[in-house]
Amino acid sequence: MSTTISSRVRKRLVFFVRKGKFSDFIVMALSIGVFLALWYIASDLLHTVYFPNPSTVFDALMNSFTYSNPQVGVLLMGQNIAASMTRFLEGFALAFIVALPVGLLMGYLRYAYDVGSPIVEIFRPIPPIAWVPFFIILLGPLVGPIWVIFLGAFFPILSNVIFGVRSVDNTLLDAAKTLGAKRITIFSKVVLPYTIPFIMAGVTIGVGIAWMCIVAAEMLGAEGGGVGSYIRVNSDLNNFPAMFAGMVVIAALGLITLGVARLLEKQVSPWRGK
Amino acid sequence: MSMLSISNLEKVFTKGKGEEQLLAIKDFNLEVEEGQFICLLGPSGCGKTTLLRIVAGLEFQTRGTILINGKTITGPGSDRGMVFQEFGLFPWRTARKNIEFGLELRKVPAKERQTISQKYIELVGLKGFEDAHPYELSGGMKQRVGIARALANDPAVLLMDEPFGALDAQTRNLMQKELLRIWKETKKTVLFVTHSVDEACFLADRIVVMTSRPGAIKEIFPIDWERPRDRASVEFANLRKRILAELEREVIAGPTAPINPTDKV
Repeated sequence: MSTTISSRVRKRLVFFVRKGKFSDFIVMALSIGVFLALWYIASDLLHTVYFPNPSTVFDALMNSFTYSNPQVGVLLMGQNIAASMTRFLEGFALAFIVALPVGLLMGYLRYAYDVGSPIVEIFRPIPPIAWVPFFIILLGPLVGPIWVIFLGAFFPILSNVIFGVRSVDNTLLDAAKTLGAKRITIFSKVVLPYTIPFIMAGVTIGVGIAWMCIVAAEMLGAEGGGVGSYIRVNSDLNNFPAMFAGMVVIAALGLITLGVARLLEKQVSPWRGK
Repeated sequence: MSMLSISNLEKVFTKGKGEEQLLAIKDFNLEVEEGQFICLLGPSGCGKTTLLRIVAGLEFQTRGTILINGKTITGPGSDRGMVFQEFGLFPWRTARKNIEFGLELRKVPAKERQTISQKYIELVGLKGFEDAHPYELSGGMKQRVGIARALANDPAVLLMDEPFGALDAQTRNLMQKELLRIWKETKKTVLFVTHSVDEACFLADRIVVMTSRPGAIKEIFPIDWERPRDRASVEFANLRKRILAELEREVIAGPTAPINPTDKV
């Protein structure tokens, strides 16, 4: 009797864990719960103003949307989000517009690759953040950060596009040729559609790096607000709960943009990986 | 005059900067009449796929000529359709859109494309699957798309490179029957590469057995039996036995070593 019950329970448990999105949700909620609990405990044990607990940070976060003090450089969180988001979109769009054609060209034409890749290899190892002082001095604190984001997103998109073009299945190229395709139509009807999932993979990686660049650029001296500046200013003001609130906002924005990129990835190439 | 004529074909592959040369095909001569089903059979690495690719225009011979209806081929063209072992379907296109690919390239109007693709969808037995993407299809169904795609261009010759090599035994037998049905309906000339003696005996009007590298014709076996052929019949078994013996001798003899550029090729 007891064995049948336990086996029935086990079956139900296995069913519960393996099937459905609800169990995924529970696991996620649990993991976040554990994280928040650990945060609470750690901040309690350390007992220092530098490390506020989650509820203090939450209060600061709520407060950040209504409190501002322009004289010391504290803007409303809404304004900061708008400023960071604008920089992100501008820098990212720029990176995409440049990296896509350059990558397609370098992937498809042998000599374009031979000419371009040494230059790319020189610049790629330089962390985009290392460019912040240069761009801010050269282009000023308003435009400079956009170019840092540009650099951050440019290389992952570029290398993924090149890789995509170069990894086109030879049988597909042969098939297109035997069906009568010439070099230009092979590019537009085979290479380009084949590369789309790689482009989207580059975009997804680029999004993550772009966010790191935004925060770094804003902390090092952007003008006109931004979540990075908010973190920096509040750390200077010793307002640590607000500083953490800024970090939470960055995490949220990063997750949202990444989510949008992934959604786009699925929309654009549902056949991928199959 | 025959529809496909291959004369004195020779192919040398050059590795690196001409330091090492490999004679892949030598003295290959073959005349194929319109509507014939030819199977090229040979030990692996004997150059049968290379030969097919040269006829397709995907590779170029070192010497010799290939004529299709009296015209020399200089590259790929829609007068030759090819079916690949790995299918080579465009994964972002549905079955129908794959079949219409060649028609799109030739700027056939959409309505006409639809009519033609519908005809071949029905011919190869893809009805109900026209809107499926390749990843939703089984291997056999994928190859049906591959065959329909090659036929949609209405080529003079259908080139098939081990088209059923990636399929399981049952599907393979079924597809062989299907191919014969399609062949009878379209009356195409077929050049079919395989390493399966059984497959060749089941399909071909003539089996061309090739030697080990460098690939040349070792022997041609004409088969005039009626189709469908009975794999279990005595004559079928006898022919298989003879061809297998030929092949075995070639495999044991093995390919010749790479040749030096100083040697006269």
